[in-house]
Amino acid sequence: MSMELLAIFAASSIRLAAPLIIASAGELISERAGVLNMSVEGMMLTGAFLGVAGASITGSAEWGLLIGVLGVIPLALLQAFLSVTLRANQIVTGIGINILALGATTLAYREMFGARSNAVIPGLDKWSPPLLRDVPLLGSEVLNQVWLFYLGLLVLLLCAVVMRRTALGISLNAVGVSPRAVDQSGLSVTWLRYGAVIFSGMMAAAAGCLLSIGNIHTFTEGMTNGMGYLAIAAIIFGNWKIGRTALACLLFGAASALQFQLPLLGIQVPTALLIMLPYLLAFIAVAGLMGRQTAPAALTQPYQR
Amino acid sequence: MNNLLIKLTPAQWCTNSHIRTLLVMGGATMIAVLVAIVMIISFGVPVSEALEAFADGAWGSPYAIGASINRSLVFALVGIGFVLANRARLTNVGGEGQIAIGGIAATAMSLYGGCENLPYGLAYIVPMLCAALAGGVWGAIPGWLKARLGTNEVISTLLLSFIAIWLLYWCVQSVDLLRQPMTSGGTLPESLTIPETTQLPLLWPDSGLGIHLGLAITLVLGVVVAAVISRTRFGFSLRAVGYNPQAAKRAGVAITWTMVAALAIAGALGGLGGAIMLQGDQYSLKAGFSSGYGFDGLVVGLLARNSITGVFVAALLFGFMRSGGINMEMVAQIPAALVLVVQAIVILILAGSALWLSRKGEKV
Repeated sequence: MSMELLAIFAASSIRLAAPLIIASAGELISERAGVLNMSVEGMMLTGAFLGVAGASITGSAEWGLLIGVLGVIPLALLQAFLSVTLRANQIVTGIGINILALGATTLAYREMFGARSNAVIPGLDKWSPPLLRDVPLLGSEVLNQVWLFYLGLLVLLLCAVVMRRTALGISLNAVGVSPRAVDQSGLSVTWLRYGAVIFSGMMAAAAGCLLSIGNIHTFTEGMTNGMGYLAIAAIIFGNWKIGRTALACLLFGAASALQFQLPLLGIQVPTALLIMLPYLLAFIAVAGLMGRQTAPAALTQPYQR
Repeated sequence: MNNLLIKLTPAQWCTNSHIRTLLVMGGATMIAVLVAIVMIISFGVPVSEALEAFADGAWGSPYAIGASINRSLVFALVGIGFVLANRARLTNVGGEGQIAIGGIAATAMSLYGGCENLPYGLAYIVPMLCAALAGGVWGAIPGWLKARLGTNEVISTLLLSFIAIWLLYWCVQSVDLLRQPMTSGGTLPESLTIPETTQLPLLWPDSGLGIHLGLAITLVLGVVVAAVISRTRFGFSLRAVGYNPQAAKRAGVAITWTMVAALAIAGALGGLGGAIMLQGDQYSLKAGFSSGYGFDGLVVGLLARNSITGVFVAALLFGFMRSGGINMEMVAQIPAALVLVVQAIVILILAGSALWLSRKGEKV
């Protein structure tokens, strides 16, 4: 494999992994707090649509991003209300919200843009880190990514620090392991979990915006196509650790990038197998073939005083 | 029921579990219909025109009725499987993949498995059995993982669905697998049409309804599963494993076997659903074959709240809704996605009120 091909491969791996990394970072916080937010798929889709709608109305991709990230909050509140306050089955509510998002975004998109629109929407700019910018291939190809990806990485690092070093992080971790203890110490289980779900919704929406206004500059119906579930699988793969989860996302991204790369190298592999590969890897991870998984003790368990 | 309503004060209504269920179901339906009407209006289509298109597609002709019922059979099969597995507190989210696997198996057997010339209806029975077997194996995997390694079955069945959908895609794209021989550049990526002998016979050939044998099979299986759940040792084991696996183990219930069997049966019913779709109305395998029916079946199972009768009611409802929605898109240009929104509203309201519904009601 020549250096150019390798660079293209690395660049497309990162590009495909980026939405997963951002979405799974948010989802991880929610899961650490004990709420399995299965609706990350629907929230990504909602964010992707609102980003496009916002960018097309305001004429600015940045405003679109802001509208996408803030616009998803009502949906996140719904998820939190159902699973925390009403103590509903988190998996069922998640799937319900995913169906709702798929239906609602499809309807809204047709209403706004018509059935077969290829309207090009203002997109987010690309950016590469200053010092590495001038390195051939690395700067021009591999690290030349939509700036939102770098912002996502920054938030991810911030999450890692907050979860490990601050009182807030300790409380969030505790509420996913022993909500009763948190309650007895005088903190509000409800607010912590609401906050975690809303944060995960905003991150999912940012990931969706990265897909729509970041990568392809338009919206297509059901464009997330299972990526939200991959983000959840990445967390299991990463054993609920932030760094390992991001690495798992990179692995899934690389596996997806193979479908564009192998034909370039003249290797004939059925496309379907390559598209399936990330799901297969995720399945192997979930099946426990990667060592024992230890989920937060109170994950998916609603808390009642 | 009417007596009950009269005898109770409004405050007491909320404490009786039957009335609560009725209230929630009625409320959910009303909200969903209201939202649908608002959205129809926002699309600038007269409500009467939209509803007429919906009714035409759902029950406007004998053919439409037959198509709606045939469609609901698949939802019912997946839903029955969901209810059975749910007895053991196992959530089967893999219907979509199980349908796909069943479709692949039924196509392979019908076209290349030598079933075409079998006598006594075996030509269409053998592919169905193979599809059920394949779906059963596909379903058994998450069951085994759950029992042995504690893998969450929701995630594993879901991931297996994605894997199955792409397997099916591979099968119809590759000439070495199930794709029809390439005679020209325009050959579509789908399988050959299955031979007539392997297609399901119609129940009332002269009626114009087009309802096939799948209806009889689904009804029988529904009754059998209902009996198994409530009257057999296996049904008891399912519940025991669901309530308290540790206690069930002490009491001598084979936990691994029960979990594997529960999800395998659910998978087999999904696989059979795939066979019925293929041999009953599609007749050739295409990409996107499962068409979201697995998820609809899951929702049907959820709505039924553990009752097989409930499964049949919800499945019929969804079958008619899907047919009506498709016609509404074709005639009145309202996206069929409207039906998704309506479904989601019903799911969310029912999920949100599940706790309130399951709270013990006062005896009247």
